Amino acid sequence: MSPKYLRVELIGLAITAVILLTAASIPAIASRNPWLWLLPAGLFVLFAIIAAVTPRRVRAIGYRLRDDDLLFRRGIMFHRLVAVPYGRMQLVDVTRGPIARAFGLAELKFVTAAAATGVTIPGLPEAEAESLRDELVALAESRRAGL
Amino acid sequence: MTTPEPTGLADGDWHRLHPATPLFRGGIVFVAIVGWILVNLRDVFFESLFDEVVPGDGPREPNPARDWILANVPIAMGVLLVVLLVVVAFAWLSWRMHEFRVTDELVEVRSGVIWRRHRRGRLDRIQGVNIVRPIVPRIFGAARLEISVAGEDANIRLAYLAGWIADALRADILRRATEARSARIALAVEERLGSPPSPLLAERPAAAGPGFLEQRAAEFLRPELDQPLAAPDSLVRMDVGRLVASTALSLGIPTILVAAAIWVGVATTREFAILFVLVPSVIALATYAVRRVTRSLRYSIAATPDGIRVGFGLLSTTNETLPPGRIHAVQVSQPLVWRPFGWWTVRLNRAANSSRDGAAGQANTTILPVGDLADVEKVLGLVLPDDAALVREALVGRGGDGFTVSPPRARPYRWFSRRRNGFRLASESVVLRKGAIWREAIFVPLARVQSVAIVRGPLARAARLARVEVHTVAGVITPSIGAIDEHDARSLFSSAESRVIEAMAA
Repeated sequence: MSPKYLRVELIGLAITAVILLTAASIPAIASRNPWLWLLPAGLFVLFAIIAAVTPRRVRAIGYRLRDDDLLFRRGIMFHRLVAVPYGRMQLVDVTRGPIARAFGLAELKFVTAAAATGVTIPGLPEAEAESLRDELVALAESRRAGL
Repeated sequence: MTTPEPTGLADGDWHRLHPATPLFRGGIVFVAIVGWILVNLRDVFFESLFDEVVPGDGPREPNPARDWILANVPIAMGVLLVVLLVVVAFAWLSWRMHEFRVTDELVEVRSGVIWRRHRRGRLDRIQGVNIVRPIVPRIFGAARLEISVAGEDANIRLAYLAGWIADALRADILRRATEARSARIALAVEERLGSPPSPLLAERPAAAGPGFLEQRAAEFLRPELDQPLAAPDSLVRMDVGRLVASTALSLGIPTILVAAAIWVGVATTREFAILFVLVPSVIALATYAVRRVTRSLRYSIAATPDGIRVGFGLLSTTNETLPPGRIHAVQVSQPLVWRPFGWWTVRLNRAANSSRDGAAGQANTTILPVGDLADVEKVLGLVLPDDAALVREALVGRGGDGFTVSPPRARPYRWFSRRRNGFRLASESVVLRKGAIWREAIFVPLARVQSVAIVRGPLARAARLARVEVHTVAGVITPSIGAIDEHDARSLFSSAESRVIEAMAA
């Protein structure tokens, strides 16, 4: 996990916040009713809280390659720990969002036949994402099993 | 294993479907429309003739539409004829272009006149083979063969084939599929089918008897061809009374409650118009109930060398075969209103989701519409031979008996079911037991588990509880068990994961 990933998250959050705050301010500006400023103010507090917990949330994301399976954990309020045997891999996706690409990061998604698996490792340096992908594919190939 | 092909259709060459296919696929509606037009035209035509032959009767009232038609009868006839010819030619052409073939590795279908469509399915990926007989093709002795492969709506459909060909071709395809899979799996199949439930084992149906005419006559007299073959093997008898009663209970009690509420409403407000608004929904409910009953009648389930065969349906029949090892999760559940009678229903998760077909829709997920505990045991004995002995504890047991249940501090989260809510790692599956009022048990074969997760929300963490999720392919069942002691959850998580890896390697 690259330390730059925190910046990607924060920038993404800032963009969303600016858009939503602008939208939320429209009624207040249009109606000149000072009470309506409470809406963007509340949103601002909400975003501030999210921004404050983001570093911890990002630190909570982690993965580990074990002998036969991949362990993946995330979440601070809702802990989630998933174990996926390599042989269950259907495909590996490497995607790059616009902000992440500016920082040279990529996101790796491990897809099984079950939609609920939901293993997505964000914020990997591109080179690492690709080598991890190749490694996972090789591991899956050696432990190939049907559905 | 290499017995001669009864049909000769699985020889790797391209073959066409039943010649009457265009008729079955909506052609009958077309014929009816053309017939109706012709009958009407004939009336108009004769009327005009008689008007000319027998003049008098006073002046006819003007009718511009009829006059226009009368003036243009030859043209209209000509246009109609051309349209008819084009449609017939197109139907014939599309039949000519619709071909299938079965080779050692694949099933292929190519179809379409203008937009060509080529679908190819690998035999070793087959999830099941269904035979569906809608009512009209069934009268003519035809059937649709549906080969489901893993994936959303990835069915290969051969519509339509003569009934006996469909049956024989299914046997061919399933045998090829078994051969196509690796020797390891083939061995496992033989082992599984050969050892414990041997008295249940059906003989391979003596497919495709000698005389074609005799076949045809037999089909005509008894359109459900599979029935005589499958009936003696069927492990579970579907009792008509029970089926009707269960449907009436599960639909009827809510209906009566709603009706009572409406009645009170109408009686107090005196707005009787409300009643008419309800007519469509009453009709819809009644059709749903009737369809559910007719679809589940003549239910049969049996073990065959190709897998478990399940048959459904009174008017339109569905007959599907699940190859061994294609079942991803099994759920046995009991609605509250069925409880006094001790009835249960069994549903499945499988990789092939044909969400499209109404008839297959039910058959695809429900493997036993309604049955008592003994029936459930028999069905699970087919589906999961090694763990069927656990059924009774999983369904009606409570407390310890091999299951790890929620700790006492989980009471706020599982008021009544604390002592039932639990799990057990059996020899070949994870068993989850839930609910004291709406009782339910889920079996997930270890060899089919995709991944395992442990989830802890803030409330559960405060009580040192956790939820364990067992991920399988998407379907009607989402196996997970909540409010389990943290340590128990962790040990289930790690032991299930290592057992899954073991089961995959085996």
